[in-house]
Amino acid sequence: MSEILKSEQSASSVKHLELEATPSPAYLDSDELILNMGPQHPSTHGVLRVILKLDGEKVMGTECVIGYLHRGVEKIAEHRTYAMFNPYVDRMDYVAAVSNGLGYCEAVEKLLNIEAPPRAQHIRVILAELNRLASHMLWLGTHALDIGAITPLFYTFRDREEILKIFEKYCGARLTTHAFRIGGCLYETYEGFEDECRNFVKFVRPKIDEYETLLTTNRIWVERTKGVGYISGDDCKAMGVTGPVLRASGVKWDIRKAQPYSGYQNFDFDIPVGTNGDTYDRYLVRIAEMRQSLRIIEQAVEKLPEGPVMAKVPKVVKPAVGEVYHGIESPKGELGYFIVSDGSTQPYRIRVRPPSFVNLQALDMMVRGALVADVVAVIGTIDIVLGEVDR
Amino acid sequence: MPQWLQSVVDYVTKSNNTPGWYADPVASAIWALIYIILIFTGVSIAVIAMNWLERKILAHMQVRLGPMRVGPHGLLQPIADALKLLIKEDIMPDQADKVVFWLAPVTIVITAFTVYIVIPFGPTHAVTDMNIGLLFMLGVSSIGVLGIIMAGWASNSHYPLMGSLRSSAQMVSYEIAMGMAVVSAVLMTSFKGGGNFFRQIYGTGGASVGTLSMIGIVRAQEAQQTWFLFKFFPLGLIAFFIFAVAMVAETNRAPFDLPEAESELVAGFHTEYSGFRWSLFFLAEYAAMIAVSSIAVTLWLGGWMRPFASLHGPNVEIPNYWSGGAIDLAFALVPALTFFVLALFAFIGTVRMPKHRAFRVQTIGLAGFALALGFIGLVLLEPHVRDRVQDIFWFSLKVAVFMYMYIWYRGTFPRYRFDQLMHLGWKFMIPTGIAVLILTAALGLGS
Amino acid sequence: MTMKKLLRKVLLLDLLQGLSLTFRYQDPKEIYTEQYPLQRPEVAERYRGAPRLNVNPDTNETLCIACDLCALACPEHLIVVTSERNEKTRRKELTTFTYDLSRCMFCGLCEDACPTDALELTQDFELANYTREGAIWDRQTLEQGPQPTVYKK
Repeated sequence: MSEILKSEQSASSVKHLELEATPSPAYLDSDELILNMGPQHPSTHGVLRVILKLDGEKVMGTECVIGYLHRGVEKIAEHRTYAMFNPYVDRMDYVAAVSNGLGYCEAVEKLLNIEAPPRAQHIRVILAELNRLASHMLWLGTHALDIGAITPLFYTFRDREEILKIFEKYCGARLTTHAFRIGGCLYETYEGFEDECRNFVKFVRPKIDEYETLLTTNRIWVERTKGVGYISGDDCKAMGVTGPVLRASGVKWDIRKAQPYSGYQNFDFDIPVGTNGDTYDRYLVRIAEMRQSLRIIEQAVEKLPEGPVMAKVPKVVKPAVGEVYHGIESPKGELGYFIVSDGSTQPYRIRVRPPSFVNLQALDMMVRGALVADVVAVIGTIDIVLGEVDR
Repeated sequence: MPQWLQSVVDYVTKSNNTPGWYADPVASAIWALIYIILIFTGVSIAVIAMNWLERKILAHMQVRLGPMRVGPHGLLQPIADALKLLIKEDIMPDQADKVVFWLAPVTIVITAFTVYIVIPFGPTHAVTDMNIGLLFMLGVSSIGVLGIIMAGWASNSHYPLMGSLRSSAQMVSYEIAMGMAVVSAVLMTSFKGGGNFFRQIYGTGGASVGTLSMIGIVRAQEAQQTWFLFKFFPLGLIAFFIFAVAMVAETNRAPFDLPEAESELVAGFHTEYSGFRWSLFFLAEYAAMIAVSSIAVTLWLGGWMRPFASLHGPNVEIPNYWSGGAIDLAFALVPALTFFVLALFAFIGTVRMPKHRAFRVQTIGLAGFALALGFIGLVLLEPHVRDRVQDIFWFSLKVAVFMYMYIWYRGTFPRYRFDQLMHLGWKFMIPTGIAVLILTAALGLGS
Repeated sequence: MTMKKLLRKVLLLDLLQGLSLTFRYQDPKEIYTEQYPLQRPEVAERYRGAPRLNVNPDTNETLCIACDLCALACPEHLIVVTSERNEKTRRKELTTFTYDLSRCMFCGLCEDACPTDALELTQDFELANYTREGAIWDRQTLEQGPQPTVYKK
């Protein structure tokens, strides 16, 4: 036994674990078990490391260790011109690359005081909403996989493939799209773009019903998610949690409605709001959001105006001295870019407010007192992408 | 000819013997040995087939293809995997309890295979007919838990420990519910006649003695001319349902696969195992699945009895081939037909194989496989084989249905949480099991 | 709990619905998998794959005017262009063009920057290589495409 104690005490993880009520020789206390979940773990969605303090299977406390995927995106920005930094933002939330690009381009446009032409804005909305669907589908598949249903993953990935095909045809890449440029879109839509979007909407509606058949009423799914990972609306606000997690707690806050950007004010859609703030409500909110996204896509395709897709942008982007913050509603929450310009061609500083990073802070609050299996469910329901958390 | 040899010859040629009960102990031993070898081979092949089928069926449910590269339609994939596992480096964690670590998979495999001793594949196809067969089977299969706890403890690692603790709690609580359901079925063996309530109470039938012998249980179903599934409808059905749920929990399969919950505990109790040792766990898991399915088939689905066993139909005479009921004949031909259909599928697969140079060997292989299946079908048409294999076929078919259900559940359901599993076990399954037991006893009064 | 809900619960309808869905999907027609080397995926026209340095098909002369805009546009600075002034025509002529694919993120900025459509990201997506050096493409590889060794029996 003493050998085990020594080996565990020497583990580096123990040293920076400061949880309340830990007696000094923590490992003589037989009630508690320190479990290192991740960074290599099938359901921490990448390289998140969660140190769990357990009493049996009950979670007494958690500590997230992040940074395993840190690539210094914000620092890279300081050595790139505004246009050159654009592809890097795709690699933060690689599941919703289009949203990232949209937020960045809009922020720089705000800094330059220009606006993308209406056709470009519509294309941006269509692609961003398609991307929201893709992101939610990936979330649904992996979340269900975490809770033990292995099949929805393949259905959602199959349907997500149709979205990726549209992306590939539009901008030449499936995942890290680099679809937009500062001032609009580089590409005109390809032939048959509208029809493909319409067909996709028709194709995917019954598929969403299928996911619901497998999960929404399934008693195991309901038991696993109802009342799990509860967080109140006030707590969400206090922690800065945004996106579906916030809305599932009953707070009707969606930047697309509250501070419309890229012409979202022209579209008719609802903000799905939950009441209980538990994992099940977050699931329902995201499913409803998928349906709303389909509505937006339908409208945007119908209204798609003619005209140029690129505004008049100087060849060398050189904003005046100043700073700007622009937030958009990415699939995971508020994605904000804070850009400081010193008047040169390169940004002086770019700070990204990633929704996953902020939402992850609520993990401890949500899982305290729950079981190990709930930790996995809650990590899934927050919908984190480690590329975005660590940047 | 020595007497023991004579009795073996008798056993092969005549089909009215009871296994394990020969006058000559040597013959008994030899025959038991032959059966043990046969069953061990058979179960191993079944596990390999099951491995392939699980991957294929699961893949198709998930709009995938599954293994396609090793052999035609991935038929040789399980063999390739087994080979890989055998030649893989055998890693033993530094801090592990070496002896227990070594002992755990062995324990599990031994228990998983020992239960096959009493499984009656047919009235004469069993290693032995133990008079406490069912009890023996439940008892031995429970020792499997010990292996899991040993594996979890010996690994000296957090995830396996939690997995094995979950497993022990789960198996212990589900064993009770399982026991209740089993007892109600055993109770039914002591009743006579059909399921008429009033005849049971006021009828004239004298008290008969129930049995724990696996063969005896099927014989009772034969005598009462009903599967216990339909006895005292819906009591038999409910008892069967309880058993069917408990047996999934008992074998740690989805949606009750908490001990090896992949998304929570990485791989649960066998996280630290690799290579050959891990393959033993795998083998034992599938062997145990087949074993508990066999119990369910024996207790509720009439064991080796074919469906509609009481119907015989008009007499049909085919010289040198058949004399008896037409329905009997039709059912007697089903095993051969099944193999012919399988052979047809394999043949269609051969024809549809891509006409590419790289696929030439695979096409030939699949054609050979189709021929082999067809040949087995032909052999099954031969009168002696036909009559002796009937029982095994129907038994295996029923077990196969259960195996399919296992895969189907896995492809559909999310996983229960630990406390919900306990909740289901203690607050629903056990009370219902006791209620069914009491009702069965009440309905069986006087019979 | 209403009667309907109770019945649904007792008859396990919620579970049976899911089971029937997965059962229906076993139809081999539903299979979505592509068997890659045999079934080639159809790549979109705009796909950003392996780079190519276009040549004039008639004269076999490169279209590149060695303006260095692609190298300037590249966020990863992975393009190196060297040129030489031709004294006769008094124009810059391309001597070497190096493209480090191992660092490329296929953003397409070089392609956008090129004024003569000389540099282009093509639909070729099979870029595997046995060595790191193999991922650094020189002018010849860029013009003619990679020439992998073809092994024959």
